Amino acid sequence: MTGVNRRSLLGSALAVTVAAIAAPAFAEKGEVTISHYFTGELGLKAFNEQIDRFEADSGYSLKDSPVGHEDYKTDILVRASGNSLPDVFSYWAGARVQFIADSNALHAIDGMWDKAGLDKVVAKSIADSATSYNGNRYLVPMNYHYAGMFYNKAVLDEAGVTEMPSDWDGFLALCAKLKEAGIDPIALGSANRWPAQFWFDYLLLRTAGPEYRAKLMAGEASYYDAEVKRAMGMWKDLADAGYFAENSNANTWTDASDKVARGDAAMTLMGTWITGYWGGLELVPGEDYDFFPFPAIDAGVPVASVGPVDGLVIAGNAGNAAGAEAFLEYMVSNPEVQASWSGAQGALSANVNVDPSSYNDVMLKAFNTVADSEVFAFNYDLATPPPVAEVGLSMFARFMDDPSKVDEILSQAAGDASAAFSQ
Amino acid sequence: MERENRFWRVALLALPLFVFLALVIWPLLSSFYYSFTNWNGFNSDYDYVGFENFKRIWTDRLFFNAIVNTSIWMAAAILLPTILGLSLALLLDAKVRGSKIFKTIFYLPICLSAIVVGQIWVWIYQPDWGLLNTVIEQITGSRFNYAWLARPDSALYAVIVAWSWQQTGLSMVIYLAGLTSVPSDLLEVCDIEGATPWQKIRQVIIPLLTPSTVVVVALSVINSLKGFDILFIMTGGGPFNSSDTLAMHMYNESFRKYFMGYGSAISVVLFLIALTIIGLYFRQLKKVDDIYG
Repeated sequence: MTGVNRRSLLGSALAVTVAAIAAPAFAEKGEVTISHYFTGELGLKAFNEQIDRFEADSGYSLKDSPVGHEDYKTDILVRASGNSLPDVFSYWAGARVQFIADSNALHAIDGMWDKAGLDKVVAKSIADSATSYNGNRYLVPMNYHYAGMFYNKAVLDEAGVTEMPSDWDGFLALCAKLKEAGIDPIALGSANRWPAQFWFDYLLLRTAGPEYRAKLMAGEASYYDAEVKRAMGMWKDLADAGYFAENSNANTWTDASDKVARGDAAMTLMGTWITGYWGGLELVPGEDYDFFPFPAIDAGVPVASVGPVDGLVIAGNAGNAAGAEAFLEYMVSNPEVQASWSGAQGALSANVNVDPSSYNDVMLKAFNTVADSEVFAFNYDLATPPPVAEVGLSMFARFMDDPSKVDEILSQAAGDASAAFSQ
Repeated sequence: MERENRFWRVALLALPLFVFLALVIWPLLSSFYYSFTNWNGFNSDYDYVGFENFKRIWTDRLFFNAIVNTSIWMAAAILLPTILGLSLALLLDAKVRGSKIFKTIFYLPICLSAIVVGQIWVWIYQPDWGLLNTVIEQITGSRFNYAWLARPDSALYAVIVAWSWQQTGLSMVIYLAGLTSVPSDLLEVCDIEGATPWQKIRQVIIPLLTPSTVVVVALSVINSLKGFDILFIMTGGGPFNSSDTLAMHMYNESFRKYFMGYGSAISVVLFLIALTIIGLYFRQLKKVDDIYG
């Protein structure tokens, strides 16, 4: 009896092990594995709806494994290092995709792009900046975002602000007026570091210009240059004047957004995904909140908009490359999918066939602002290689902790960035 | 029969041995291998770089920052739960009313995962509405919103407090078990001879609790070396690396900066440090064993 029990036990254990190992080999032929970071309540629901549409229309089945936005940044690398990337995964266009493309870990989609005529579907500015790496097409853009100065309308109304600033002096005057009225002018939630990058991006872009910034991002300029010192100096002036709400480094971007939503602070420099978040709080775009573009500083500097492009890429060793290509094509080229996806995500569609009138007032304004810009620049951590981005993101957090050390911080960042570029 | 038994011994051992080899030994050997390469985690093409990664460690400012933090972390993570656990055990062993309830309450945190404990303390330390600052405000009567986890001077120590809060219950239980083996007649003799309570604790109880202390310290050393999750959830090594330990630094270099080869070199150094500490500890353990049997 004892022997039988042992045998059954071991037999069962072996059966489970063999089944687990063998399972992928017997997976359905038409299955496509996918991972993404669209895990917010609205984003996940909307993404799943598009997956259902794709499955119904194409006959492929999708095996989905979403991971939270912050964890995703490392999770995808863990999977890559274990050679277990899903067929399709979402990723941020720019330096991060460049990094994987340089590692030959992506599947080129030039054939699919041409066959599906995506040149006529994807907005040219986005296609030019976000989809090609090392001479090959690797990414289809799901959507893009724009970073602007989002504000609480009621707070500004109460403070007697009728006109939004378009230049730096006007912006300083607005901050002074709000401060005088006892309101924190700016909320910044840099606990996860990246929200601070938009300040650096815009101050540098509006003073030194896109060309210089591109050099800095590529390691051809130094963080100790006069251009960077000037931009950081302007940031320091704002901090010294007490225009930022306290404890930026203790708050996340949602904490900062909540402060503005509650009226504890007047505005926050954030991406258009804030509209999705505020939509969840039932704030009405155009009535409860609005935005204005980051003010101009130096005349003659090309007007740049900053933001990320969310895209989908295919792993170089994808088990079902044909199914993966079909999914990418479907997600970007179907205007209905794009309209409902970008609406739920609080994002702008890269598909030119999406009717802009489907956007709410605030998103339409963001769409037009980007369209009127001379340059669309990826935000800092997508514009420079990941090891360097780590240096800069820590630099911003350290600066927000003690702006008086700006010179020392920049000197150290210059050394660390130079070392990271040389690795 | 003997042959069949041997078969089953080998067969039943095979699965755990396979799991151990696959999940512990193989990754360990892989880390050693990758520490001599410039692998970035994505690229299947990488070069052998000899001892380059180990040389780089000597010029890495953040590595030495992590060494200092790891030393502080380990010292505090060993001392605090040991001292607090012993103190609680001595208090609760004195047959106070409701001691069973207190024992349960103090032991409860060890039943929670480090992630849950970390999140609880993130809320306690929250600057605007966290329990700690609210209590301070109530006591002082003035606004207090210090960001414990977001300031470089306090972040590491704030995590150490959370860690100690969880680990103290375990130390307490081990000491309580140890206290049952302290002979009561010996304590009576102390009373008859007029020893003060402090003399009794210092010169009789603590020496007799040495075997318990060995276990408590051993567990604290092992747990503190593993202490990555609570730091990860509470500060992520921040703000700006001020609470980076070696494990966090290894993670940052490998998975945030994509320097997998260099991260592996740091993990090799961490392994060697752990091996040295555990080796020294076992040497001491043998001495204690020789004395107490």
